[in-house]
Amino acid sequence: MFRHVFVYRFKYLIRDRELVFWTFVFPVILASFFYMAFFNINKDEAFHPINVAVVYGGEEQYDAPFKAVIEDASKGKDKLFNLKDATSQSDAEQWLKKGRIAGYFTSGETVKLTIKDSELEQSIMKSFADQYRSSRLAVQRIAQDHPDSLKEELLKDIGNRGNYVKETAGGNSEPDSMLNYFYALIAMACFYGSFWGMKEVTDIQADISDRAARVNTAPVHKLLAFIAGSAAALVILFTEMLLLLAYLNFALHISFGNRAGLVILTALTGSVLGLSFGALISAIVKKGAGMKVAILTVATMIGSFLSGMMYMDMKYLIARYVPFLAWLNPVNLLTDAFYALYYYDSLSHYVRTMGMMCIFILLFCTGTYLIVRRRKYAGL
Amino acid sequence: MIHVKNLVKRYGELVALDHLSLDVREGEIFGLLGPNGSGKSTAINCILSLLSFDKGEVEIFGKTMAPDAYDLKRKIGVVMQNVAVFEELTVYENIDYFCGLYIRNREERRHLVEEAIHFVELDDFRKFYPKKLSGGLLRRLNIACGIAHKPKLIFLDEPTVAVDPQSRNKILEGIERLNEQGVTIVYTSHYMEEVEQICSRIVIMDKGRVIASGTKEELKAMITLGEKITVEVFSINEEQLSQLRTLPGIVSVEHIDRQLYIKSGKGSNNLEIVLDFLKKRQIGFGRIYSELPTLNDVFLEITGKQLRD
Ligand SMILES: Nc1ncnc2c1ncn2[C@@H]1O[C@H](COP(=O)(O)OP(=O)(O)OP(=O)(O)O)[C@@H](O)[C@H]1O
Ligand SMILES: [Mg+2]
Repeated sequence: MFRHVFVYRFKYLIRDRELVFWTFVFPVILASFFYMAFFNINKDEAFHPINVAVVYGGEEQYDAPFKAVIEDASKGKDKLFNLKDATSQSDAEQWLKKGRIAGYFTSGETVKLTIKDSELEQSIMKSFADQYRSSRLAVQRIAQDHPDSLKEELLKDIGNRGNYVKETAGGNSEPDSMLNYFYALIAMACFYGSFWGMKEVTDIQADISDRAARVNTAPVHKLLAFIAGSAAALVILFTEMLLLLAYLNFALHISFGNRAGLVILTALTGSVLGLSFGALISAIVKKGAGMKVAILTVATMIGSFLSGMMYMDMKYLIARYVPFLAWLNPVNLLTDAFYALYYYDSLSHYVRTMGMMCIFILLFCTGTYLIVRRRKYAGL
Repeated sequence: MIHVKNLVKRYGELVALDHLSLDVREGEIFGLLGPNGSGKSTAINCILSLLSFDKGEVEIFGKTMAPDAYDLKRKIGVVMQNVAVFEELTVYENIDYFCGLYIRNREERRHLVEEAIHFVELDDFRKFYPKKLSGGLLRRLNIACGIAHKPKLIFLDEPTVAVDPQSRNKILEGIERLNEQGVTIVYTSHYMEEVEQICSRIVIMDKGRVIASGTKEELKAMITLGEKITVEVFSINEEQLSQLRTLPGIVSVEHIDRQLYIKSGKGSNNLEIVLDFLKKRQIGFGRIYSELPTLNDVFLEITGKQLRD
């Protein structure tokens, strides 16, 4: 009997395309977007040197140091610019018009920048020029005493190109905190899994659906049918989570630390947590499918928000000002468990978050059991 | 086969079943007739142990019914008032799923499911998803899901609601065929014609109470009305009308829009008496209808209101 119900529930659930979308396709798409937003700009391969030209004003005292600095920035493996020497201003104008360069500098007492529009490349050029100007002022005094050392000081000051790129991209892309976005995303996906739990309760409680009433008139123990159905839901959700983990790890190269076994255990715990949450909400709310979906969606979104999925600092604000909230938000617990596995060598924090999750699971399951075990209803 | 005694079911203040008692005998088609909200579905769900009730007892096959009375449930088939199938499963899979809750043996099940599909004439639709089925076909699938395991006792709660006459007749024929195979049937409806057509015994319910029961002949014999006669008259005056009302056997006469609505008591020559009277007074008349009482008249006479509004 277990097998019969399991097989049919599995077929029934997996054919619900909308749910498969929200619990699997949507997180995959979202993860891909996160990935593009965080990484592309930081990746060495992804950065192409910018085509620029310099028009020299002809005054040696201004031209020489700028020439030294920009040439330095235009050589080596991680060069910032592809430099083209322009013999005249009109040359540079021509190239700019044809799109062969992104802009050109004009050397002189102040370095001028001529650019077409203000995309990323141009803003990198702008910040290069700004920094050159301010550095130049700063080192001017030294230059007055030792004209030769001007170049050295400038070069030191406008050191690595990484500064420009980072500043311009505006990324606070510390690798550690960035991973948290992805961990929170997995937690969100697990909690969207609550929809599967909702379906199981809907189809076993005769006061919620007519299908359930039919199952209730059959010679089958209600809890057996419920457990068989929930097992099918768990298999589906857990498989989705494993696929999501695999996608994050192998396609997007998101690190989960070295403890693969524990990562998988965490995903399993998260799946059970999501399912039991959905089951409990569905059992409590009873009728009104729209209401249930709304509650589950809003709860998942708020939980994910508070665990820093949309706005990283949220997590720190909570940890700092309302720390107990971090322990009461199951989505956050799940996020933290992944983070602890990646970040700490010691398992103590991990064990604590997992313990707290198990308490939640126990709570959700007990609540669901107390409602679902009843086999006669007050009203249908 | 089913024995229900003094069943009381309350929804808060509302008494949905008020000391309901009924007995269903083996091999009959038992009709539960009543207007919307009279408690038919509530009664069936209480009998099936789906609903808790405040008082009373329910026995099926001589044993007390309970949620875990699996030996009883195995012999019962249920077709609920609302269509209850899975949108994501095909016609075949839906029937197989519900049948599998009763029958473990796969070979046997395949056979039964095929038979059920054939029975409701869904042979060409076995791979269809419910969304693609018309209302009538969907009802037939709903029935197949409830009866595929060959139960000895079947509950059908308004299985023909919102079904066109052709599909309805198919369903009714099917029910009669099942009955011929020895299946006992409990059938609820608020369509008196249906109940009259197929049921061997009828209980009429109102406000959770049994107001009359018996065969349809017995029910009709219960009331004073014998015949309803409608005559189209071209002109008739008040004096003639009151004379007509005093004729032997005539219970009431109403004159509306050139139509005479006459109700007569029991007896076989009421129509003759009326026509004789009209001819003697030289009152011209056109079309004439004469009807025997329906279950609606039974309901009307007992409760003072129409069965259907
Ligand atoms: N869950 C419930 N809570 C409160 N009242 C209910 C509930 N279910 C039914 N009722 C009330 O109980 C009464 C009987 O309802 P029931 O559904 O048994 O009628 P019915 O004879 O099956 O009607 P219909 O022909 O419309 O199906 C109605 O007045 C209905 O409003
Ligand atoms: Mg009903």
